[in-house]
Amino acid sequence: MGLTSRGPRPSGPRLADAGAGTAPARRKHRRPHLSLLALVGRPAVVAAGIGVVLAGSGVAGLLMASHRGYTPPRVGPVKPVLAPAGRPQTPVPQTSAHASAPVSLTIPSIGVRSRLVRLGITKSGALQVPATTTVAGWYTGSPRPGAIGSSVIVGHVDSSTGPGIFYRLHLLHPSNLIYVRQKDGRLAVFRVNSVHQYTKRGFPTVKVYGPAPTPQLRLITCGGTFDVQTGHYLSNIVVYATMAS
Amino acid sequence: MNHQAPVRRVLRLLGACALLTGWLAAAAPAALASPATHQATGYLRLAHLSPNTPPVDVYLYSVGNSNAMVVVHHVAYGTVSTYQTVPVGDYTVAMRGAGKPSSSPPVLSTTVKIQAGHAYTVAGVGPAAGLRLAVLNDTLTTPKGRSLVRVIQASLKEKKVTVMDGSKALASNLAFGSVTSYVSVAPGTADIKAAGGTMSTSKSVGLPADTTHTIVVLDDPGHLTIDPLTDAAGSNLLPSGGTATGFGGMAPRPGSSPLPWAAATAFGALVAVAAATRLRGRRRSWKARGSHAR
Repeated sequence: MGLTSRGPRPSGPRLADAGAGTAPARRKHRRPHLSLLALVGRPAVVAAGIGVVLAGSGVAGLLMASHRGYTPPRVGPVKPVLAPAGRPQTPVPQTSAHASAPVSLTIPSIGVRSRLVRLGITKSGALQVPATTTVAGWYTGSPRPGAIGSSVIVGHVDSSTGPGIFYRLHLLHPSNLIYVRQKDGRLAVFRVNSVHQYTKRGFPTVKVYGPAPTPQLRLITCGGTFDVQTGHYLSNIVVYATMAS
Repeated sequence: MNHQAPVRRVLRLLGACALLTGWLAAAAPAALASPATHQATGYLRLAHLSPNTPPVDVYLYSVGNSNAMVVVHHVAYGTVSTYQTVPVGDYTVAMRGAGKPSSSPPVLSTTVKIQAGHAYTVAGVGPAAGLRLAVLNDTLTTPKGRSLVRVIQASLKEKKVTVMDGSKALASNLAFGSVTSYVSVAPGTADIKAAGGTMSTSKSVGLPADTTHTIVVLDDPGHLTIDPLTDAAGSNLLPSGGTATGFGGMAPRPGSSPLPWAAATAFGALVAVAAATRLRGRRRSWKARGSHAR
């Protein structure tokens, strides 16, 4: 609006205008021409321009700000999952040859029931993760669940649109039970000892993946703050469990 | 000068905006649940490796506490318990004859200091006449891709025993009641042979990579026997760091605060209106002046 209220525009070059011999009184009242240089002498116009640009970018910012917000979908209550029936693997083994390969995982207290996919190591040396967010996976480089050592099972906390298989992992409490069905049909039963949250930067690699003298289980997923810039969570949730005797 | 006033106002408003934005950024919620406190623990197992000592009851006391934390009843020769997870600290291990009251004086006792993440074997070794409790430090970690093996010689019939893994000697003429240190061996299935002066025995033992083992040589009435124990097992390859196990679909993200943008909009509108008002006023004055001149 500031621009439209400006005085009459010259139609030709300045020299021609001057040469036309306009009345001196009229020329006196004409404001300088609309050129960048001329604008410097007109702070009101500059201010009006800045104001319009600022207001415009403010509106754009408001639109972006409201667009970037995200509210996750509501998740229903824990679906009841029964403890699997079967012969528990007892007693706690004293050699490593006592467990067959794991096939499925059941955690009744947080409604988890999943087959177990096989996971290895990525090129960068990190633990592979399941290709889908709805199944958990066993790291084949770690001892089999039920054998001596720390067996590692990994699952996603969420997909980009909803909960993953380990969405409720952080809700586990000491003494909650975890069941791993083995290929030979037997069950390895674990009892939760503790649940920890570590930043990925301060991840205690040896404590989580390192050797152990008893059959133990580590369940790992993501947690903490989600970093929108990188698309990753900043922390990991680790559940420590030992074989129930 | 008069025409500089809006510019100054612009600057002042911009300053206020900057202040507001800075404050909002500083107040952004950075609260993160602190990890639950976790008591450090170590591992302890108990063994009876004295052939002519009758079964015993083994008591584990936390030092300074006369109530036993763990009691293992009727532990006979050749028995090795599984590892118990115990809180870090000083402990007393005491042995009493099987079935003796817990108030009776123990036959033997020793102290053991449990450190975080470490494993220990407390074993009754030697002949009944010279029974003693040995505290062994157990190794959990192996050189990469290797297997570690040690030998406990608990045969009284054969005072000295040589234990071979194929052609590699794990123990040479090891005296009764002694323990070797761990030896690094190639992983695989090992053919373990134990031989004394007159008797010998062999056993096929799985020694996977990244595992540690204790081979116990025992008297079985009339001959030697081998009890292979797995002390610990690790992962083939230690993954580096944590896992990328989330895509953020359940992470609520408030849009960036609209306040700075709202302030910018309001301010821009203000400046534009002020400038427009001023321009109109000036134009009116030109017009007025123009008509006056005419």
